[in-house]
Amino acid sequence: MRGAFLKGLAVAALCLAAAAPGRAAGFGIFEQGTKAMGMGGAFTAQADDLSAMFHNAGGLAFVEKADWMGGITWFQGTEAEFQGAAPFPGPGARAEQELLSQPLLHLYYGRPVSAGSRWTWGLGVTNPFGLITEWKDPDQFAGRFLSTKAALRVFDFNPTLGWRVSDNFGVGFGAVARLSDVELRRNVPAINPFIQRVSDVGRLQLESDPSEGYGWNFGLLHKYNNSFSWGLSYRSKVDVDYEGEARITQVLTGTPLDPIIAARLPFGRDLPVATEIQFPDMASLGLAFALSPNIVLETDVNWTGWSSFEEVPITFTDGDLPNATIPEHWEDVYNYRAGLRWTISSSSQLRLGYIFDESPQPEEAISPLLPDADRNDFTIGWGHTGKHTWDLALMYVKFDERERDESFPEDGNDFFGTYNTEAVLVAFTLNW
Amino acid sequence: MHRPSLKAAVSALLLLLSGAASAAAQPNTGTANFSRYVALGDSLTAGYMSNSLVRDVQLNSFPALIWRQALGTATGFEQPLVSQPGIPPLLTLRGLLPTVITPKSNTPGNPLNLNLPRPYNNLGVVGADAQDVVATVTGGFHDLVLRGQGTQLQQALALRPTFATVWVGNNDVLGAVLAGRVIDDVTLTTAARFEPAFRQIVTSLNAAGAKMAIGNIPDVASIPFVTTIPPVVVDPRTNLPVRIGGNLVPLVGVTPGQDFVLLSAAGLLGQGIGIPAALGGRGTPLPDEVVLSAAEVATIRARTAALNGIIQAAASQAGAAVMDLNTEFTEITQRGVTIGGVTYTTAFLTGGFFSYDGVHPTPFGYAFIANLFIDAINRQFGGEIPPVDLFPFMFGPEASAGFVPSTAASAQLSPLALDMLFWSLNVPKLAPAKGGEPTPPAPRVKPRPRGKGKGGGG
Repeated sequence: MRGAFLKGLAVAALCLAAAAPGRAAGFGIFEQGTKAMGMGGAFTAQADDLSAMFHNAGGLAFVEKADWMGGITWFQGTEAEFQGAAPFPGPGARAEQELLSQPLLHLYYGRPVSAGSRWTWGLGVTNPFGLITEWKDPDQFAGRFLSTKAALRVFDFNPTLGWRVSDNFGVGFGAVARLSDVELRRNVPAINPFIQRVSDVGRLQLESDPSEGYGWNFGLLHKYNNSFSWGLSYRSKVDVDYEGEARITQVLTGTPLDPIIAARLPFGRDLPVATEIQFPDMASLGLAFALSPNIVLETDVNWTGWSSFEEVPITFTDGDLPNATIPEHWEDVYNYRAGLRWTISSSSQLRLGYIFDESPQPEEAISPLLPDADRNDFTIGWGHTGKHTWDLALMYVKFDERERDESFPEDGNDFFGTYNTEAVLVAFTLNW
Repeated sequence: MHRPSLKAAVSALLLLLSGAASAAAQPNTGTANFSRYVALGDSLTAGYMSNSLVRDVQLNSFPALIWRQALGTATGFEQPLVSQPGIPPLLTLRGLLPTVITPKSNTPGNPLNLNLPRPYNNLGVVGADAQDVVATVTGGFHDLVLRGQGTQLQQALALRPTFATVWVGNNDVLGAVLAGRVIDDVTLTTAARFEPAFRQIVTSLNAAGAKMAIGNIPDVASIPFVTTIPPVVVDPRTNLPVRIGGNLVPLVGVTPGQDFVLLSAAGLLGQGIGIPAALGGRGTPLPDEVVLSAAEVATIRARTAALNGIIQAAASQAGAAVMDLNTEFTEITQRGVTIGGVTYTTAFLTGGFFSYDGVHPTPFGYAFIANLFIDAINRQFGGEIPPVDLFPFMFGPEASAGFVPSTAASAQLSPLALDMLFWSLNVPKLAPAKGGEPTPPAPRVKPRPRGKGKGGGG
């Protein structure tokens, strides 16, 4: 029953939310609330809106009345280019990704268990991971035998309990039900024996059904005094086992190779396939200082256990095609956040932020499937409190130029070159 | 009057700028100097492919590619080029099931660069072994390359080389493979005979001031000439082994699990030789020259190891870069090499690394080998010579140099039709067998012509 219910939710949620592009380094998405985003996500030691359920569950303990909060973060890619290098695909290879223009949703509800209670509860719906890498002119793209499209969609349902241990110390615990699906596309090569050139002989598309995984989160927030607070947050690993179908369609070469290939590959059938992703755990430590009655500075350090993303196994459960493994070899990384908020008046707040976001992807693992890089992000935000409380934020994401010119000996699969990526995020959240 | 002058001035300026740009673009070769680069070796150095020496492939021989990458230009590297369809005419794939490979034409190509008034930079002679490099001037391909003006080594020294690649020794073991027989110093060079010749090559070049990159000898079991034909009867129409009572049927005169059936057996199998009489064959065993026994393979491998030891020692003494092609080829044989999602293997026809003769690489294979050498050179001499761009060798016209899609008309031209059995289509999944027991191939072919000179073009 639980599985069916979650799958139903998944279908609805995934219909609502387009696949989310990778934002925080790797394919994590840290932008789950506009107020926090305006301060570069340095929010663990403040966590003073309902996005605390994502940023630090300890903040939920301080909720004093029933509240809804919902919003949208719009991701707009502005540059996503690849320039090849020798030995493959060579300097003549240039490619662009489809520039993404995608909304990410966040929705929270929270309230005290009862009037005056030290216990609170809430439900958060977020999409903390996601990815789309889709290359233009896929049949011409030099990396088409590695990937022409990769899309990962994730929705978290995060019921959370908060407990205000004392007036200035709160803890929170949550359960995470993660719903996700994945899509991978690539072309299938063969070396044409008549001309000894690589020919496209098929297109492979793999789509999973919505699949679920479970985890938990924990957080604590200590408002030491009016000038200093600190917080700690942890979100656990979540394993998702995907099942779905693959389909391979033939591409004709116009040579006698075609009937031989047709006899040997299972074209035009749904092929049962399975894969799995171990989503990483994350921990955050934040320190917030009141520089004046109106100005607060917070600095956070976040750790993400990306070493869980070692490989992506592709298993054809009926043996229709050989199983495959996509090596990733990612590493645990930190990112560093600083955010400033300036309360200009009782109704207006200006926010600024900066993030240095380490990439978990080693150079040897960069590929068209998911090219990642260190990032420098700059944010600005505005908050309005009144009859309607709303927040607005803008983020500029500058990926460092990322070059690959070596491979892991055990993996090979050279695909050398340089990736350049930029993006802008705009977010709006309304409280009611 | 003024305009031409202005144009001339602009042209001169552009020329100057382009010269400056190309000078600036010249790669860093470290302590290696490629201004007078010479390549010594055999068919693998010459750029031989599909039983032929032909310009389209020679232009991308591995020494030509090293020159191009090291100097940023193709100009100045002279080779004994041969016009289409090559000498001998290139082999062409006419059909897959059954596999039909024939020469492209009955008439060979012509030398294009015979009058060069100096030795070629690429002195690789098809069929040459170590002794030939120091002692042979005429005969077979020596006449084309050396033109009676001295041995490979003598002509290399005459160029006052600053850099040399030496990939010598392949024919010292390959002769035994191609002949299917091990006869010391006839088909398989002994270490005692190999060492003085090889040391003479290396010490002479070293004394002349040339820095060197030296390749060792790959394992013979890595080439499709040895690995393609299984020791059991296969139906060429289905690419599947024939089974009787569920059991595989060994070829006559072959011990499965121990013997290697050489590609040169294909024509004989097509005539029913080696096929049991019960399956419609002649029931006569395959002759020894098309079968390598386990003992012969062991002997060849041991000799290869011994010769590679000599190569390594001589190279170390000379401070040369050593390219361990034995390990590299073994790796490719066992795992293939995957580039950009495309896996190249040593499988015959479909692996992409070896050409239709089962011994010599494709243009991609030569480009890959050039990159192995460049990597070794950079490591040894501290250079940053860029690798060869493999994309054209995988997708572009360079990949297909010398490969011509067959036509029925051209197929009828050849009196040397050669059917070969096709076992190794390298696609992920083989369909399960359907229908009744396959039948053996119908005899319809003439045997494969043996190559000229020793070893048929190693």
